Amino acid sequence: MLPKAAITGVGVIASTGQGKAAFTAALLEGKHAFGVMQRPGRQRESSYIGAEIGEIKFPSGITQQTLRASSLSAQAALAVLQEAWIEARLSDVDPRRIGLIVGGSNVQQRELVQNHEAYRDRPAFLRPTYGLSFMDSDLCGFCTAQFGIRGLAYTVGGASASGQLAIVQAVQAVLMKQVDICIALGALMDLSHWECRGLRALGAMGSDRFGDDPSLACRPFDRDHDGFIFGECCGAVVIESVESSERRGVKHYATLRGWGIVMDGNRNPDPSLEGETQAIQNALEVAELSPAQIDYVNPHGTGSVAGDETELKALHSCGLTAPYLNATKSLIGHGLSAAGTVEVIATLLQMQAGRLHPTRNLQNPIDSTLNWVGDKSIDHPIENALTLSMGFGGINTALCWQHHYQA
Amino acid sequence: MTKTKLLELIAQHTREILPGLESHQFVAADRLADLGANSVDRAEIAMLVQESLSISIPRVELFGPKNIGELADLFLQKLDAA
Repeated sequence: MLPKAAITGVGVIASTGQGKAAFTAALLEGKHAFGVMQRPGRQRESSYIGAEIGEIKFPSGITQQTLRASSLSAQAALAVLQEAWIEARLSDVDPRRIGLIVGGSNVQQRELVQNHEAYRDRPAFLRPTYGLSFMDSDLCGFCTAQFGIRGLAYTVGGASASGQLAIVQAVQAVLMKQVDICIALGALMDLSHWECRGLRALGAMGSDRFGDDPSLACRPFDRDHDGFIFGECCGAVVIESVESSERRGVKHYATLRGWGIVMDGNRNPDPSLEGETQAIQNALEVAELSPAQIDYVNPHGTGSVAGDETELKALHSCGLTAPYLNATKSLIGHGLSAAGTVEVIATLLQMQAGRLHPTRNLQNPIDSTLNWVGDKSIDHPIENALTLSMGFGGINTALCWQHHYQA
Repeated sequence: MTKTKLLELIAQHTREILPGLESHQFVAADRLADLGANSVDRAEIAMLVQESLSISIPRVELFGPKNIGELADLFLQKLDAA
């Protein structure tokens, strides 16, 4: 079995709340914040539905100067990193032994488009900061500067699987002893109207069918689903070895027992039953767990017709018909680059609460044989959980989590 | 434009980039670096001034001035030449 990496700190922000306490309460109460998106640069001859985060609360000590020079993705990162940093007591750790992996690529598109539009007729006066901020890796620079991180930091991209990839990469950095502690950040994907249009044109983003009542638009695994609904979110998890967490006397939420990353050899957005099945089987095999030992699955569940159907078939083909499942995206939307990290956090918080959040708009499940959490949360202890994220370009990821550490 | 006006303009844009200098009394001998502006902040300030003056100066020419008085002189010289 692999050596164990543990999660010892968590920070999160979504449309339904900032911070673990607010986020968990909103999840368990089944709250949502879907509506026609209002953020400047999100609409152009359109009325895309989504869920946007409210005003971000920052820790004291963050200056106006810092905020002025930072993008929405950077500000969300700052907020969640601060929360995770405090919980895992990272101020006590040698900064040379702390790393950061940022999950996501091309995450600041709206900021770039806003810049292009603002300077279209006066390009000579483009803000020099643009020369830094157009690169995603600016988030690495920004965050390591804010927190004094001196270990490694870089970005990893895998479309909507980026958030889980960042976790795997951070775990590897810890297990390879490149650093003692590594933070994985699922970066806030800041879509402009251009990306919304492209995703809609591709048939991936849900339609305006529920334009009159946006609260109904996001419906993973329901017969009336017709695509994903975007939701801004961002999450950070602090990863270290179990030995390190015990030595430092910090509690851990769960340990990562195994993971699988599998490509379909397919550039397109189409899902693959074979790829998803293989990723899940690889994760279970590394974890040395049988399907019967999994008590909860946090699926990718975007609301895409083909994606939802394929994913449930994959659960069947892996013998995962007994565990409970719900859809975090039904509450907060699809965070794209951030989704994997934020949904792992949702899983850890449900583990901690011993309670599973409801699934909104699941009126007629496309597969009623599975063990859904419907419109009410339920008490359910989780010992072993599986979290799934898939991305365009044929990437499938499955992570297997254990609540109580067993050597 | 007078040098005093130009110094006011530089001060105004410096405060925009560095809000912490809100109550600072700017003088010609002030060096932006000493006031806490890093190289990116200085580039941003210089760009805002250029936009206010509707002139464009190559970045390399802006490396010369040692304080905001000299920076104001450079801008005045460019304005005259324009």
